Amino acid sequence: MQFKVLLLYLMNKQLEDIKAIREMMEKSTKFISLSGLSGILAGVTAILGTAFAYFYLLKDPSFTDYSHTQELMILLADALIVLFISISFGVCFSWRKAKKNKQNLFNKVTLRTLYNLSIPLMAGGIFCLVLLFRGDIWMVIAGTLIFYGIALINVSKYTFDEIHYLGITEIILGIAAAIFVSNGLLFWTIGFGACHIVYGFVMYRKYDLKQND
Amino acid sequence: MTNIIAHLNKAFESRIRLGIMSILSVNDSADFNAMKQLMDLTDGNLASHLKALEGIGYIQSFKQFIGRKPNTQYVITGEGRRQFKEHLDALESLFK
Repeated sequence: MQFKVLLLYLMNKQLEDIKAIREMMEKSTKFISLSGLSGILAGVTAILGTAFAYFYLLKDPSFTDYSHTQELMILLADALIVLFISISFGVCFSWRKAKKNKQNLFNKVTLRTLYNLSIPLMAGGIFCLVLLFRGDIWMVIAGTLIFYGIALINVSKYTFDEIHYLGITEIILGIAAAIFVSNGLLFWTIGFGACHIVYGFVMYRKYDLKQND
Repeated sequence: MTNIIAHLNKAFESRIRLGIMSILSVNDSADFNAMKQLMDLTDGNLASHLKALEGIGYIQSFKQFIGRKPNTQYVITGEGRRQFKEHLDALESLFK
C-alpha cells in the first residue's frame, strides 16, 4: 500500500518534470509570442482593403476616371496600408503577450523567426512589384499568395506548427488564383482575409485563452 | 522499479536544473539573462544552480564582453548531454 502511494507520488512528480522539460525546450527555441488576435485583425483589415479596391476601382472601371498608372498606384497604396496595419497589430499584440509571459520580445529566437520569414517574403514582394509595374495585376494576386505561403512554411519550424498548414492553404489558393484569373480577388480575400480570421481564432482559443486561466 | 529510480539522476531533482539542461540541450548556447527570463528566476537562484551543474561538469560557461557589458554563455558538455538523456529515458520508462 505504502509502496503504491509512493509510486503514484513519484509518477506525478515525474509527469510534472516532463511537462517542464517540454515547455523549456519549446520556449527556448520557438517564437510563441504571436497572438491569435493579430491574425483575426489582419484578416479583417485585408477584407476591408480588398473591398475598397473592388468597389472603388475594379467593379466598374467607368465609375472613376483615373489613368491606368494612377489605378495601379492606388492599389499599391491600398495594399501597403493593409500590410502596415496588419504588421502593427502583430507587433503590438506580440509585445503584449511577451510582456505577460515576462519575456523580451526581441531575443535570439524572434530575430531568427523574422529572418526566416522575411527571405521568401522579400523575394516575393520584389517579384510582385515587378509584375505590378508590368501591368500584370492578376498574377500579382497569385504571386503574393504563393510567396506568402512559402514564407509561412519556411518559418513554421521556428514557431507554432499550425502555421505550416496555413502556408499550404495559401499556396493552394495562390495557384488557384493563377489558374482562375477572373476569380483572383475572391481567392485573395479568402487567403488573406478568411484564412487569417479562422487561423487567428483557432490559435487564440488553443493558446491565448488557456494562458489566461 | 528500483532500477528506474536508480537511473533517475539526483543532480536533476530540482526543476530549475531540469530547465537549464532542457534549454542547453536544444540550443547551441544560451546566456544567463535569456535563461533567467525563460524560467522567470532571480539572479541568485539561477546562478547557484548553474554553478552546481558546472561543478559536476554537465555544463560549461564562457565569459565574454558584448560592448562593455559582461556576458556569460553556457553550453552543455558531452557528459551533461549523456546524463540528461539517461535521465529522460528513465522518466520515460516510468510511464511504460
